[in-house]
Amino acid sequence: MQRPNIRALVAAVALSALSGSARADNLNFDASGQIYMKYMYQNNNTQGCLSMSNPFWVDTIQGSNGACAEALLTIQAKIGPKVSAGMVIQSRWGALWQDWWENGDLKPGVYDTSGASLGMDHAAYMKLRSAWIRFGPPIPTVEWITVGSTDFSMWNAWTVGKARYIDRFNGDGVFVEGSIIPNNLFTYTIGAMALPKLWAGPGWQTGLKDSDPLAALYGTDWDFAVKLGTRPTRDLRFTLIGSLAKDWEADRYSPMLTGPPNAARGANHSVGLVTRFTGANASLEGVYTPSSAEWISITGLFAGSSNYVNPAYATNEVLNGQGFSPVVFKTDKYGNPIASNGLAGTLLVEVFDPFDIGLSARFQYFNIGAEYNAIMGARREADVLITSGIIGGGFTRAGQLPTLNVANEFQDFDEPWYEACIGWNGITAILEFVKGPLKLTGEYTFIGYNTNMQNRDVKTQYPDFLYTNGFTDTTAFTADADYANVYDRGKDPRSVYAQNQDRQTHIAVLTAQYLLPVLPGGVLNLMGKYIHDQDLRIISNPNDNYVGTSWLGFISLTLQPLPELKTTIGYEYTHWYEQGREGNEQSGYSPATTIRDTVQGGIAYAWGGVIFSYTLQYFWKDLLRTPPAYYNMNWNVWRSKATIEVAF
Amino acid sequence: MRLSIARWFLPPAALLAGWTAAVLAADAPAAVTSPATTAAAAARPPPNPTCTPEGGFTFADPIGDDDGPGTYKYPTDPVYKPGSFDMTEFQVLPQGNQVEFRVSVRSRIEDPWDSPAWGGNGFSVQMAFIFIDTDHKAGSGVLDGLPGLNIRFAPDEAWDKVVIISPQPATRVNSEVSQKCPQWKSRIIVPRITRAQGRTLVAVVDKSQLGGDPSPNWGYQVVMQSNEGFPAKTDLLTRKVNEFEGQHRFGGGTDYDNDPHVIDILVPPNGDPVKKQHEILSKYNKAATTDVKPEDLAVVPMVYPCAK
Repeated sequence: MQRPNIRALVAAVALSALSGSARADNLNFDASGQIYMKYMYQNNNTQGCLSMSNPFWVDTIQGSNGACAEALLTIQAKIGPKVSAGMVIQSRWGALWQDWWENGDLKPGVYDTSGASLGMDHAAYMKLRSAWIRFGPPIPTVEWITVGSTDFSMWNAWTVGKARYIDRFNGDGVFVEGSIIPNNLFTYTIGAMALPKLWAGPGWQTGLKDSDPLAALYGTDWDFAVKLGTRPTRDLRFTLIGSLAKDWEADRYSPMLTGPPNAARGANHSVGLVTRFTGANASLEGVYTPSSAEWISITGLFAGSSNYVNPAYATNEVLNGQGFSPVVFKTDKYGNPIASNGLAGTLLVEVFDPFDIGLSARFQYFNIGAEYNAIMGARREADVLITSGIIGGGFTRAGQLPTLNVANEFQDFDEPWYEACIGWNGITAILEFVKGPLKLTGEYTFIGYNTNMQNRDVKTQYPDFLYTNGFTDTTAFTADADYANVYDRGKDPRSVYAQNQDRQTHIAVLTAQYLLPVLPGGVLNLMGKYIHDQDLRIISNPNDNYVGTSWLGFISLTLQPLPELKTTIGYEYTHWYEQGREGNEQSGYSPATTIRDTVQGGIAYAWGGVIFSYTLQYFWKDLLRTPPAYYNMNWNVWRSKATIEVAF
Repeated sequence: MRLSIARWFLPPAALLAGWTAAVLAADAPAAVTSPATTAAAAARPPPNPTCTPEGGFTFADPIGDDDGPGTYKYPTDPVYKPGSFDMTEFQVLPQGNQVEFRVSVRSRIEDPWDSPAWGGNGFSVQMAFIFIDTDHKAGSGVLDGLPGLNIRFAPDEAWDKVVIISPQPATRVNSEVSQKCPQWKSRIIVPRITRAQGRTLVAVVDKSQLGGDPSPNWGYQVVMQSNEGFPAKTDLLTRKVNEFEGQHRFGGGTDYDNDPHVIDILVPPNGDPVKKQHEILSKYNKAATTDVKPEDLAVVPMVYPCAK
């Protein structure tokens, strides 16, 4: 569902051209559009156009066999020299050809001979995706005020992250940008954003009366943020960002909510508010790029977070939701709710070819507190660490984010995966050598865990997301019809807390890229990756250790037989051996071996404004487990995705 | 009470005043005059180019001149990091049958839009055009810049080849070329490989695409621009410059296609390079708002770093 070119469009065109039109149309506004179509096939029995949807509610968009189209219309206008406005209208997909005859008035339970009549759910209706007004009033220090839809891109992943594609522009807000000292030497941005009703808060919501009966006043939920930027010298700049998410509900003890409205009760016709959730985050980033030594760059970041949940107004999902919760429900020793606080820091030193021989290096130290959590941070589409991480592979791009709110959903099988890096404490060193047609990189990463702890309370306070160990197979994650891939899920990418953990991880990656001299546009890519992941679990019990080792080999060849046509074919071999992967402390643990072969080919063709792509993937996977406790499994999956789009 | 309020407000006010003074002192030229003067004062003349017998060379460009004619501002989105379009060095490195072109900027080149997702080359924001004059003769080559740049060249410095360094996949760039400037297709080179390394954009081109080995007599012009995935019909994947900056639009120009949509260029040695750039890029017909003709556009010079 998350299509890069639509994303690029939305990012680069829809909100971008706020400063006016370059064309002198007869109309007093400019319009541009896009049509995007996707065709999917897989050897399973699901129908739809999205490899993985949301597991929580039943929807009609997930599926691996279908044809879907989407249209987008952007309108923008320059009202005055410093006043502009715009909006985006976009269709949702879901309509099948027979749905054209529907008028959407049938209801569930009504006998319907068409086979699929769910009203608006199959209507591919047009939706107002965003609307904004931007103006630059003559107020001292103020440069721009923007009111309306936003993608939150003005903040960062540690505080308020850029919204993932499907959430983009759903949020509205008011933003003031200005400069206290001219020439961007001291700038500020202030914003107030309406919290999304879904995902930003305990239970992935800000209060729904069906699940939290005392909480339903989501209209008062806001996130306030401020960003200060300064450049004390040309080579040094600092950015300070602070955000405060407040989820308020009507006070259950307010006089107007209890008892009859008579004068004797003293009701004053007002309802007080009480906090359901508070999330405060701040980050200070400094970037030093000395002009006198252009071969080096140093970036440091320090961040802190504090998250408080009022359990009287928010259901404890750690206790009642199998440990699936985007926030910690922390209590003191008396059981009273308290804030969960954490600090984080990263230091990145980059050295760009200092000897002029093509050799560059990047070193990153990271130390992310066990309870750092950016509830409004980036859920995907950002990456705060330079390591390829644990879940990345040859065909799978990956990123790390400091939030329990990571979202690997509403995406297709060829899109990146993200893992939570809360508690990670370690280093990454990457060497890169580039010489003419050859590029080599080598990475070593050590990860220790600030979350290591014995007998952590994962029953009532710390969410463990149920699946705390095992390599996550992102390739096979959607191989089953069930989103949860219950037969071989591995570790949930959001899981950072376990009841008993004493873990450390080593990652080593080598890549090579070579420009082939003979074949047209020929590029050969190679990758090897090794991971050693160890968790002693209960330290005093030598029989419950988890030790996972992963080997990955990858090769791909890209050719460009025509100027507008590119083809790629690749193969990835993955072998995991995991001691102590399956089981529990009571019955003991048993090992598992996973072998997966993946072949993927694709073509990309661009001609005359039409952009077409096709990806075909086949993978065979064996999961070998120790009988009789578990049975072996295998996967035999063909799947493909074709897209075509035009912009006008 | 008044004193009490003052106690609250005085420390932050003093802090702000102190910080302001410190910043102004550290970057004094920037705060006292126009951005043009600021950049000129801050810039240092680049050293003389270093040349090799094979036609290779290193040519430095001053820092702080990423403001086109002196007035341009970056878009407001955070992906446009300070220095992202501030060219600091241009290198030509012949190696075997290939030539490596390297364009360095004053910021690490990042990939905030996940270019692998759209088949891109590992970076997102930057784009550079390397115009090459192989004969330095009037009546040979092309006078017009590529669509979207709004520049032109002098008759004796017309370009014969141009290398496009774009994060977009080669198929997309070729498609755009076929669509928007097919008449120059044989002169436009989309590199065999394009990549980012640290602060440097790297393009590897076969010598055969250039028509042979680079000559010390060749002239070059490198134009810094920004990649636009959904450009206007008249633009070759370039980002527009408007009167006011937007989230993804440069500001400080005009809302028409008369101003040069280039952020940084090379200028010939000798003299104040920043001042020269500002003068060069300011010379366009500001009255030409509709039906802009080639003669309305700014003329950018070629640089002949190793010519004798």
